[in-house]
Amino acid sequence: MSATAWAWLVLLFPLLGSIVIGLGFRALPAKVAGVVGTVSIGLAFACGIGALLSLLGEDPEARHHASALWDYASVAGLDIKLGIFVDPLSVFMVLVVSGVSTLIHLYSYGYMQSDEGYHRFFSYLNFFVFSMLLLVLAGNFVLLTVGWAFVGFASYALISFWYRRETATRAGMKAFVINVVGDIGLVLAAFLIFRELGSFDYGTVFERAPETFTTNEWSITAICLLLLVGAFAKSAQLPLHTWLPDAMEGPTPVSSLIHAATMVTAGVYLIARTHVLFELAPTAADVAAFTGLATLLVAATMALVMTDLKRAIAYSTMSQIGYMIMGVSIGAYSAGMFHLMTHAFFKALLFMAAGSIIAAMANNQDIDRMGGFGKAMRFTSITFVCGALALAAFPGTSGFFSKDEILAFAEARGGMYLIFTMLGYVGALMTAVYSFRLVFRVLPGKPCAEAQELIETGHVAHEAPKNPATGEAEDTDVGFPGSEHHIAEQSAPMRVAMGVLAVLALVGGLIQIPGVDDVVTGFLDPVWEGSPLAAIEPSLGQDYVGLGIGGAIALLGIGIAYVLYVARPELPGKLETRLRPLHTLFANKWYFDEAIDFLVVRPALAIGRFANRVFERLVVDGLVSGTEGTVRGAGGVVRAVQNGFVRSYALLLIAGFAGLALYFLLSSS
Amino acid sequence: MNTEWFIVLSALLFATGAMGVLIRRSPMVILLCLELMLNAGNLALVAFSRMVGNGQGQVFAVIVMVIAACEVVVGLGLIVAIFRRRLPLNVDDLRELRG
Amino acid sequence: MSSAILWTPLVFGLVGLFLPKKAVGWWAVLGTVVTLGLAIAVAIGFDGNSSGLQYAVDEPWISGLGVDYSLGVDGLNLFLILLTAVLWTGGVAFAAFREQERPKTFYFLMLVAETATLGSFLAQDLLLFVLFFDLMLVPFYFLFGAWGHDRSAEGGLTASAATLKMIVYTLIGSLLMLVAAIATAVLAADGGHITFSIAALGEHGLSHGSQQWIFWFFAAAFLVKMPAFMLHGWMPDAYRAAPLPALAVFSGVLAKVGAYGFLRVVLPLFPDATVEFQEVILVIALASILYGSVMAFTQTNVRLIAGYSSVAQLGFITAGIFALSADGSDGAVLQMVNHGLVVAPLFVIVAILAERTGSEDIREMGGMALRAPVLAALFLIVALATLAMPGSANFIGEFYILNGLFQAKIVFAFIAISGVAMSAYYALRLYQQTMHNRKPEGLLSREIGVRDGLVLVPLVLCILGLALYPQLILERTAPTVEKTVAKVRGGEAPAAQLASKEP
Repeated sequence: MSATAWAWLVLLFPLLGSIVIGLGFRALPAKVAGVVGTVSIGLAFACGIGALLSLLGEDPEARHHASALWDYASVAGLDIKLGIFVDPLSVFMVLVVSGVSTLIHLYSYGYMQSDEGYHRFFSYLNFFVFSMLLLVLAGNFVLLTVGWAFVGFASYALISFWYRRETATRAGMKAFVINVVGDIGLVLAAFLIFRELGSFDYGTVFERAPETFTTNEWSITAICLLLLVGAFAKSAQLPLHTWLPDAMEGPTPVSSLIHAATMVTAGVYLIARTHVLFELAPTAADVAAFTGLATLLVAATMALVMTDLKRAIAYSTMSQIGYMIMGVSIGAYSAGMFHLMTHAFFKALLFMAAGSIIAAMANNQDIDRMGGFGKAMRFTSITFVCGALALAAFPGTSGFFSKDEILAFAEARGGMYLIFTMLGYVGALMTAVYSFRLVFRVLPGKPCAEAQELIETGHVAHEAPKNPATGEAEDTDVGFPGSEHHIAEQSAPMRVAMGVLAVLALVGGLIQIPGVDDVVTGFLDPVWEGSPLAAIEPSLGQDYVGLGIGGAIALLGIGIAYVLYVARPELPGKLETRLRPLHTLFANKWYFDEAIDFLVVRPALAIGRFANRVFERLVVDGLVSGTEGTVRGAGGVVRAVQNGFVRSYALLLIAGFAGLALYFLLSSS
Repeated sequence: MNTEWFIVLSALLFATGAMGVLIRRSPMVILLCLELMLNAGNLALVAFSRMVGNGQGQVFAVIVMVIAACEVVVGLGLIVAIFRRRLPLNVDDLRELRG
Repeated sequence: MSSAILWTPLVFGLVGLFLPKKAVGWWAVLGTVVTLGLAIAVAIGFDGNSSGLQYAVDEPWISGLGVDYSLGVDGLNLFLILLTAVLWTGGVAFAAFREQERPKTFYFLMLVAETATLGSFLAQDLLLFVLFFDLMLVPFYFLFGAWGHDRSAEGGLTASAATLKMIVYTLIGSLLMLVAAIATAVLAADGGHITFSIAALGEHGLSHGSQQWIFWFFAAAFLVKMPAFMLHGWMPDAYRAAPLPALAVFSGVLAKVGAYGFLRVVLPLFPDATVEFQEVILVIALASILYGSVMAFTQTNVRLIAGYSSVAQLGFITAGIFALSADGSDGAVLQMVNHGLVVAPLFVIVAILAERTGSEDIREMGGMALRAPVLAALFLIVALATLAMPGSANFIGEFYILNGLFQAKIVFAFIAISGVAMSAYYALRLYQQTMHNRKPEGLLSREIGVRDGLVLVPLVLCILGLALYPQLILERTAPTVEKTVAKVRGGEAPAAQLASKEP
């Protein structure tokens, strides 16, 4: 079977799964729905392997194929086919997405089992995977936009999954609207591409672009900047990131799958996919790289002070995506994609472990209240530490190899790009500190009430769940883990998923040891063929010096975290008072929400209200009254004539005839 | 005799009739004045017919007379009806049709 | 065939007057179904590659005045006819499932309205078009006035006052159009034989000066009908007053007649004026988009949210037509169908919601999804289509419109696209406020019945079907649209610009 046939099957299974579960929500028992959902994604993964094998069986030069089912909307010179594009990059993404998704489905099978909305959850989740696969397999910019918007919708649906929570519905709305802004960027970019190149098709566009544009021509820069709007909105880069922390309102598997492992990395994929365009617009690429860098640092500072477990991990996600965006923008394409993969492993794992702890805490996410889970939940703790080690880039773990590869590339590119290496290491230090801050505050220490109960009885009797944000009682009818919510560790599917990911997080990096195996680079290289940037390769020396520095920084960061949170726990409080303004800034998330509220939301609402109160009433209705007055006035004139006196009718008649007679007399003479 | 004289007479008759319709209030008199106007028209028709030298105009005049007769029948009928109902015979008081 | 489609509803309506009260509703449904069947037959037999008239009927009617009874189907109106037939079937069926007061008159008026609407789509004679255009108003005047809701208690207008307002607005527009139509024919004849045939008038061409004022007379009629910004004063009151089955077809189809009029009459007959006033109309269209969107997200009445969103959508359609490029107009035709298919189920859902909550204010709704998941799912699909979610046919419509606008007037496209972001907000807000969040105390929440499902599900299936294959409409409309647009651009092939760009 050809690679494209496999790719179509990759798309087919999740879609079928979603439809079957969605339509059969009354008929299918809950367990069956979970199995159908998980198996369909597993099949997609298997088909992804099929595509991989069939690609590997070909000549590296020929590893790109386009295939189309039917003309989707092709008239008037626009060529929009329902087509896919299969090359090593898309297959790589397919494997990461479907692989991690399979594990997360498995995890959800256990995690969501006491939730009333089980069918809905799996239907949405399958739909999400379908959309994400559509996004990475799309063969033209229109279908890309479709996939792009579909994942945005799936993300909306899953964020507001517990839809009786006002906080959740509001967060969903926010995510959706910001994502639509991103979609618009993408659509405008597509228009501009069509205007300049006369096609939406990847193959045609990438072929014609180098011939059409000169480097840094305004149009190509504009195209790339518009693409970046899309990428930034989806990948939660500054300043379009505010939806991501709020998105943590969704169930934890959702945070793990969508808001850590897959969807938020779509921006990285987009830049890698359109690298041909970005290389023609170095200015835009630099904008992207600096935004990535800024996000990396800003998000890391926020992650340092957050007390909400899931939000802290969410900021860490932002920060890590900053690395990836930076990587693919400066030309470290394979390294960026490699980091995307390892990040998917360890961040999904971290969220799963966090979900397990949060479930034990009866949905309380405040790390100030946590402690002692190391003893209470041994399996979860071990996986949590594995994830944190990889995130902190502890030597030998997956994050260690992938992060340093990006930084080494920046060093090899030299010049201005050394900034990225240096500040990247600053970010790495913060990463190590915040990841172990979470570990040290949650796992060791004196067990909190829930952990104590777990140790003693092996079970937590939950109270009726409450929304931590507002304190109101949760509506468990609609689908919310009720009071008999299972402790994560006791569910075998969840253990399997977490175990597999823990192993991958630890050893996943071994496939890409510089100078030893280089599997990822070797596989992806045909995609960047002909790119001058991809040809830059850090020397082995640079690689290993980088790895050395990275490892040292990771150890240093972990050490700092140990001192701050274990050895001298009074220190963080002192630091907080000493650096009060800075802490306030970080804890208030740099006031981005407030700024957007002030600059965008309020003016829009004010305009709406003005339109409603003043404009509609005065101008539009004024127009009506004006028209009405005219008609009424004219009517008055006519009415005055109809006075009922026979004589005046006669007079009018005679006058009229006299007038006519006069007219004929005058005109005939 | 010159046709113009007939036309002048006809115009005078018509003007008299029109004046009567406009200023008198009794429906009876108004009806008479209307007859006057119609007959002014008839006079003109007959005069032109004589001038042209064929009878077509006179045919029209006969038709107008018939119509005038009908009109008088209806008009007088109305007046009698008004009188029977003891309403004032004054057209200014009969103005239900005002808008 | 054209005549059969046109007169079937009227015939059924007349016969219905003599049937017993209980049967008349289903009789009317039968009438609309037969019409739908005929329309589908026409669509199947339609030759998509031709840009000419098909199923043409041309009989002299008032030969002295050059008025012909001339009907025909081409790419511009084929799917609008189908849309009319579909929506009327849905609307009448929805009404038939409920008790109506004075049912005989109600269904008679509904069917008369269908004939009038089909007539204005089918007419190929200018005076016939004007006639049907005005005739459409008559049944709706009675439907809104006599079966409408009195809103005077809520600070609104009574049904008859609201209807009167609508009539005054639209009548002024249509009278101007009547004058303009006569003037066009007389001026084009230039003392010769008068004809009102649109095709013949298109070949003659008026002088530049006459085109200028006649253009505005027609534009006034069409813009009021849509309604466009500044001429939409009748819309809020009429929408609040209207009975929902009638409103569903009114909003779904009648607004499109205005946009269709531009394509059918204005572009071919007044090409010079069209080019000259392109930017003025575009400004009006943009103002409609922005104003409609802004209003839609501040309203709390569900009808008005839908109403103002229509103002915005019609703004997009107008903008697409006046991009004066093939893709813009292709998108506009597609979007007319899409919008009709979206807004009618939206009003059906509004009716269903109003029955359950006794209110049309979104602040008094919420949490319905829990007991009514099927309704919620259907509503979600409709809401997503309304906001032109990529993947829906509405997206393709807007994509074509905006692409046309982008290639023609880039600044306008940038402004117009902000309407897309706003539509995401108001459509989702409508969905969320009714279906999600907490349920207010004492709110009745139950699943939709099979009968309403029978109305709603086929409409939603139409939306989904088009989402998968918008090419169905695009490829059949494209030849006619390209011919229409090419004429305005003075014979310059629309694709030429692109071809030159290709290396």
